[in-house]
Order: sequence, then C-alpha cells, then structure tokens
Amino acid sequence: MTTAISKGNKAAMGSIDAALKPRLRLRTRSEYAGWILSILVGVGILTSVLTNSNFKWEIVGKYFFAETILRGLMLTIFLTVASMTLGTLLGLALAIMRASHVKPVSMAAGLYITLFRGTPVLVQLIFWFNISALYPNLSIGIPFTDISTAIDVNTIMGPITAALVGLTLNQAAYMAEIIRGGFSAVGKGQLEAADSLGMSASMRMRKVIIPQAMPSIIPATGNQFIGMFKETSLVSVLGVAELLQSTQLIYARTFETIPLLIVASLWYLVMTLLLSYPQSKLEQKYSRATARLPRKSKPVVLTDPEGIAR
Amino acid sequence: MNTDGTILAQKIRKSFGPKTVLKDIDLEIASGEICCIIGPSGSGKSTILRCINGLETVDSGVLKVNGEDFGYYETDKAYHALPPKRLAQQRTRVGMVFQSFNLFPNMTARENVMSGPVLVKRADKKESAKRAQELLTSVGLGAFGDRYPAELSGGQQQRVAIARSLAMDPDIMLFDEPTSALDPEKVGEVLTVMKELAKKGMTMVVVTHEMGFAREVADSLIFMDDGYVVERGDAREVLANPQESRTQSFLEKVL
Repeated sequence: MTTAISKGNKAAMGSIDAALKPRLRLRTRSEYAGWILSILVGVGILTSVLTNSNFKWEIVGKYFFAETILRGLMLTIFLTVASMTLGTLLGLALAIMRASHVKPVSMAAGLYITLFRGTPVLVQLIFWFNISALYPNLSIGIPFTDISTAIDVNTIMGPITAALVGLTLNQAAYMAEIIRGGFSAVGKGQLEAADSLGMSASMRMRKVIIPQAMPSIIPATGNQFIGMFKETSLVSVLGVAELLQSTQLIYARTFETIPLLIVASLWYLVMTLLLSYPQSKLEQKYSRATARLPRKSKPVVLTDPEGIAR
Repeated sequence: MNTDGTILAQKIRKSFGPKTVLKDIDLEIASGEICCIIGPSGSGKSTILRCINGLETVDSGVLKVNGEDFGYYETDKAYHALPPKRLAQQRTRVGMVFQSFNLFPNMTARENVMSGPVLVKRADKKESAKRAQELLTSVGLGAFGDRYPAELSGGQQQRVAIARSLAMDPDIMLFDEPTSALDPEKVGEVLTVMKELAKKGMTMVVVTHEMGFAREVADSLIFMDDGYVVERGDAREVLANPQESRTQSFLEKVL
C-alpha cells in the first residue's frame, strides 16, 4: 500500500522519489535582516580601523617583531608555563588535602582556597611584592635549635619571583577546585570497588580516582592555561618586563600608546588562538572517553529503498 | 577448628540517621555454604552484605568473618576499629560483586582482573596476567582481555567483575543483586558462572531476586523485611513451604 502512495506522489511532484528528496532549512526574513545588518556594521568598523590614521599601522608593523617585545613575550610564556605547572601541582596537593578525612587538614585546604579565591590577584601580587615589609628576614632552620640561616626577603622577592609566587599561589586555589570537582565526578561505586579489593587510600587515589578524574580536569586546566596567559599582564604593575610592560616601556618613550597596545593585544590574541586549538582537541578527546556506554555504535546500513527509480 | 569461609553475626544493628535498617540480625553461614538473601527493597538485605565487606560499619553486635572480628578488635569494654591496613587485609579475603559491576573504566578487562593481585598483593605482573587469563577463560571471556569495560556488554562486564574478585583468592564471595542491572537475555550467562563457582565449594552470599537460582543452587535462604530476618532455612523448603505469612505474600508476588 505504502509503495503505491509514494509512487502516486512521485508522479504528482516531479521526478525524484519523495523519500529521497532533501529536506531544506527555512530561512526567515529576520535571518536575512541579520546578515545585512552584521555586514554593514562590520564594513563600517573595518573602514574606520583602516582609514583612521591614528591607529598608525606602520608603527604596529615596526614594533611587532621588535626585540624588546619578543623578549617580553618570552617572559610572559615563561611565567604562564611556570605558574601553571607549579600551581597545578600545588592545586593537586590542596585537592587531596581537601578530600582528607582528617578535619584540620581539609579545613586548612578549604581556608587556603577561600583566601586566595576571595581576594583579587592584583592585590595578591602587590602583597607578595611587598612581603618584606611584613617579614624582613626569612630564617630557615630546625625549630627549637640554633641551626638556621637568615635570608633577606627583599633580595629574594624580586619582581619576577613575586610575580611567580603570586600567580602560582592564586592559580593553585583555582586548580584545587577544578581537581576536586574532577574527584567528585568519580562514582561512589568505583571507590567501593577499590575498597572491596583492599586498596589503600593512596592506591585508590592514584590508580582509580585520578585516572578517572582526568577527563574532566584536563579540559578545564587548558582553559585555565589560556586564562593565565592573559592574567600575566597583571604583573606589569610590579615592573616585570613581560609583554605588556615591554610595550609600556616603549610607548613611555615614544608616546605611541595605541599602536603598541595593539601590538601587545595581537600577540595575546595569536597565542590564545594557538593554545585554543590543542585545547579543543583535548576537550574532544576527553569528552569521548567519559562516555560510559559502548563507544562503538552499530553503523547504520543504508540500503536502497524498495522500488527505487533507475 | 578451621573457620575460613564462615560468617557469624549476632544481634547486628545498624541505623542510617533515624532509620534503623538492621534490627538484631543473626546469621550463621558455614564454609562452602551458598546462602541467598531475598526480600523487598529497603529490607536491609544489601546493607547486611555491605557490612560483611566493611563498606558499611555495624553499630552494634558481633560480626565474625573467616572467624575474625571484622573491621574491629574486641577489648574488655568495647570494639575498637582496626587500622585501615588491617581492615584492607581482611577485605582481601572477601570478594564483592556489585549490581552495577563497578569495573574500573580506565583499565582493560585483564588489567581489571589483575588490579587486586598486582596493586594490593604486590604479586608478580607476568604471573598475575597469566592467572587473569585463566580466570577470564573460566568465565567465558578468554578472548576479551584487551577490551575496555565500555566495549563489553553488561553480562560480560559482570563476569569480568566476578573474575576480578576471584583473582584475590577470597574465602567468601558476596553478590549484591548481580543480575539486576542486566537485560533478561544476559542474566543466564552470569548465573551460569555463579553456579560453576558454587560447585567449587566457595562460600557465597547472594542477594538476589532470581528465585530460580535460589531454588537450584542455594543451600540456605534468608527472607528479610523491614530490617528483620523474617524467615530462614533450607532454600528449597522455604521456597516451597514458607512458614511466615510475610514470606508467603512476598513469594506469591515474585514467583
């Protein structure tokens, strides 16, 4: 019966079998209006950017690969990588502490996280830079003995160290929360299975919890990495000659503020785009791995419908 | 007297907050005995099983597994919790199979089976792999060692989970509704493995809704309701001729 009907339709509505006709999307008037409006605004902005001589694109070009800028970029990359690495390690330690059954330990980690997430990074950076006002001398030694060495805090807490310490300690708090979130995503049944096999708490953490928490931790860490790359611009207030400070040093001399800020912005943009590619790959990879159901689905076999017109 | 593979419980009580889930439970399971626990959900049958493996702690009462006080040691005045290491050691002698399999998804089937011996008992890797292969073969999955749990069906996962527990050479195996999460077609393959195990003289405590399995394999049967052991006795006798009215009405509904 059905074939008879479809054959009837075929005769009535053109030569293609109705079952094989493509289904087309509806374009509304507002969609066309959206296109036109966006194009107009885009063209407007572009002409303004290209024709306004105050942008001084030749200056942008001249400084884009300047040695000072590249050196600043290198320092920015170093600060990002170093503070992310150290911050992640410290964050892991904090997350494990937070999950501890020993109350004071988990509370200490909780307090740390609250303090460092609850105050602005900029304030923290300036604070670490000026820590010598609080503790002029750092003495390392064995408690209750005379064995110790005193270190002048001012000499070790230079701008770069302060930047590194500030960014790391702040990042650790955020990473701790991300890692803790990953831990709690691991099902209770997994913990019970590990327990019933007689695994110790540390074994369970290493072999069961952490590997399974990775899929949710790694993409979020990638995001933090990209965020950190831009966050390093804050340390320019400490006089660290990273990317932003390097441009500031130049425009303090030449007064070409906007072109040099464009140089810095373009570099931040380039680096962010470069980082977001592996980031999206990571996200794809790990979003697949979290699927608990069989990953392989049976491929749908497409066969020719009955009575196809040849 | 050899007490390996025995379970003894006297007046076990357990509450979750205001709700008492186990009320003066007495159990006596001999070595090599196959005991099925049946009852409606919320009757405490899973809880008693989880207590025997230390996944839950009992509030009071005596619980001896393999002849030892489980998870605690007795002094003149109280039971004191054992240090984690000792508890873990006791747990290695009691295998647990869960309703939701709980295989480690980051390990292959073989690695899952090897996880206990290698990670906990620090056994030789090569030997454990060989043993794991034997165990996988014994549950009919010899060719599936390199598959990840996500690539196995529910029935296959549950058989791997049984092999994983067996790899620890436990004296007692506990099954917490091992076939409840399976589609009806796959129930048989898991029950077959369990029947094989029963023939080998393993002490087994099985919380189940499979009355057919209970009738065919079990030595003793316990019917629980509302935290009490309502009736217990020879499996076939209780199933054929239940004495308590509560047991009768439950069996009428499930059979």
